[in-house]
Amino acid sequence: MAQAPTRSGSSNQSVAVSVDSLVKTFGGTVRALDGVSFEIPTGTVLGLLGPNGAGKTTAVRVLTTLLRPDSGSARVAGVDVLADPEAARRVIGLAGQYAAVDEALTGAENLRLVGSLNHLGRAERRQRSEELLEQFGLSDAADRTLKTYSGGMRRRLDLAAALVARPPVLFLDEPTTGLDPRSRIDLWAVIGQLVADGTTLLLTTQYLEEADRLADQICVIDHGKVIAEGTAAELKAKLGGTVVEVTLSNSDDAITAEQALKGAGEGAPTREGEVVRVATSAGPATLTEVVRRLDAAELEPTGLQLRQPSLDDVFLSLTGHGTSADDEMPRPKRGRRKAKDVS
Amino acid sequence: MTATFVGSKPGNRFGRAIGDSIAMTGRNVRRLMRAPDQVVFTLLSPIMFTLLFRYVFGGAIKGLGDINYVNYLIPGIAVQTAIFTAGNSGFALAEDRGKGFIDRLRSLPMARSAVLTGRVAADTLSNAVGLLIIVLVGLAVGFRPHSFFGLLLGLLLLLAFALSTCFIFALVGLYASNVQTVNAATFPVIFPLTFASSAFVPTSTMPTWLRAFADHQPVTTVINAVRSLTIGDVSSAQRTELFAGQSTSSLVIQSLLWALGIGLVFGSLAVRRYNSTSS
Repeated sequence: MAQAPTRSGSSNQSVAVSVDSLVKTFGGTVRALDGVSFEIPTGTVLGLLGPNGAGKTTAVRVLTTLLRPDSGSARVAGVDVLADPEAARRVIGLAGQYAAVDEALTGAENLRLVGSLNHLGRAERRQRSEELLEQFGLSDAADRTLKTYSGGMRRRLDLAAALVARPPVLFLDEPTTGLDPRSRIDLWAVIGQLVADGTTLLLTTQYLEEADRLADQICVIDHGKVIAEGTAAELKAKLGGTVVEVTLSNSDDAITAEQALKGAGEGAPTREGEVVRVATSAGPATLTEVVRRLDAAELEPTGLQLRQPSLDDVFLSLTGHGTSADDEMPRPKRGRRKAKDVS
Repeated sequence: MTATFVGSKPGNRFGRAIGDSIAMTGRNVRRLMRAPDQVVFTLLSPIMFTLLFRYVFGGAIKGLGDINYVNYLIPGIAVQTAIFTAGNSGFALAEDRGKGFIDRLRSLPMARSAVLTGRVAADTLSNAVGLLIIVLVGLAVGFRPHSFFGLLLGLLLLLAFALSTCFIFALVGLYASNVQTVNAATFPVIFPLTFASSAFVPTSTMPTWLRAFADHQPVTTVINAVRSLTIGDVSSAQRTELFAGQSTSSLVIQSLLWALGIGLVFGSLAVRRYNSTSS
């Protein structure tokens, strides 16, 4: 349904989004973006991954013309976002955390309003609204106000609203944050379908599983800087092939185990609470070695497994803290910041 | 150069801005119609004031000669109603910002001015309904305008003033972090403007210092214009007493100038503020 941009433009249309050295500070001290650069090839999905306050939302706000950066450049579908924000708004769709729908209107009214503000004709916006409601499984709720919608339905409608004008580039800012697992999986299916149809997508998330599942490329940011880039597989490969994960009954035992397992795999073992992880490229052999050493140290693990590293492992090794870390810079207070915006 | 898109067709900019304003007005009116309790609550205090002053304090009010107090009172109540109702522009914008709806709008290729014009238009329509209800309440308690035509002109003048007042509240709504702040920020301004005016008592009964303020502030001017349009013929002594000797047309022109000035100043401040802020 959503269509890729035409490739006839004189600019390089194989790159749908390019961001170069974006810097944005709030209140003079908080560097929400500290020289962020990335590119998204047309028709692919970039997962912008990072903890709260890493700068993900700020990057999306710059790309969607809601915020003007201190320096750097941003292009979307061939349009210079800073030089021509109005043209940029015609080629983007925004949904997620902070782009909302109107709770007092019905689903259909919301979509028709967005259609109208995108300057679609009356018949076209009606048809587009029906199409999207159908596609997102909301036809039965079309004429109910959003007050009666569940959280998952509201997010789907929010996403539908971003798609009314069939934008070639879509920005989803933490689209599944706060949803129950079932709604999350439903929404993933819908997003997957969009991508299959050729939409270029930038997705921010703090869920590694989400990035792993939806994104072609992952860009990890922390403290306003890109700290790693690559496919999920590439990022995982950086940690070595597999991980032996040992769970002990308490953290004292885990500290002993961490000492005992030094040299069992590649690099030093890492410990998180009662869990010790050993990276290795020779899985079963290392597993055997780990068992021997635990036995020699008279430690009894409560859990022991050999597994592929998750993106959580990648994130931990890159940032030294998990994705749920809250020791990040706070999101600037809404309505208080002295931000100079794109007008 | 730019990619093709299905949405916005380039065209008459002005025409699109009008279309966007109509779309936003429609959305805002729908919201108001779905929360009629909100409109009713806004009208509640002017209605209470009507009853209070008509039946409780009215008998004690001096300086009106042979003018029936209810005919004096209702124009004051109407202006108060217009200002209270205009307050919704501030509350609604603060709410839209808080809920992220403004972010959605800012990411769309719509005319940015339409967010404000749509707001102000919807609240002015709601004001028209509110004023009609207040006039009916007034008629029920004995208000008798001198002529239908005078009443109609008075209401139209009031709507023009209400429209420009919406921009003051809109500006506050664009600065305030939430709806409660709008309330807290506007109440200390609305209260003296509506009460230190000719709304309930003739300013000649006030102490000199207060009278100096009351006689020269826009709310008094507008109340006097509406009152002069609806009260009919008065003696020149009464005109001096009630309207500082000014003629109806002079009061109407002054009121329109106030409305225009407030609209231009606060309208452009609000547009600037909207263009320079996020969410």
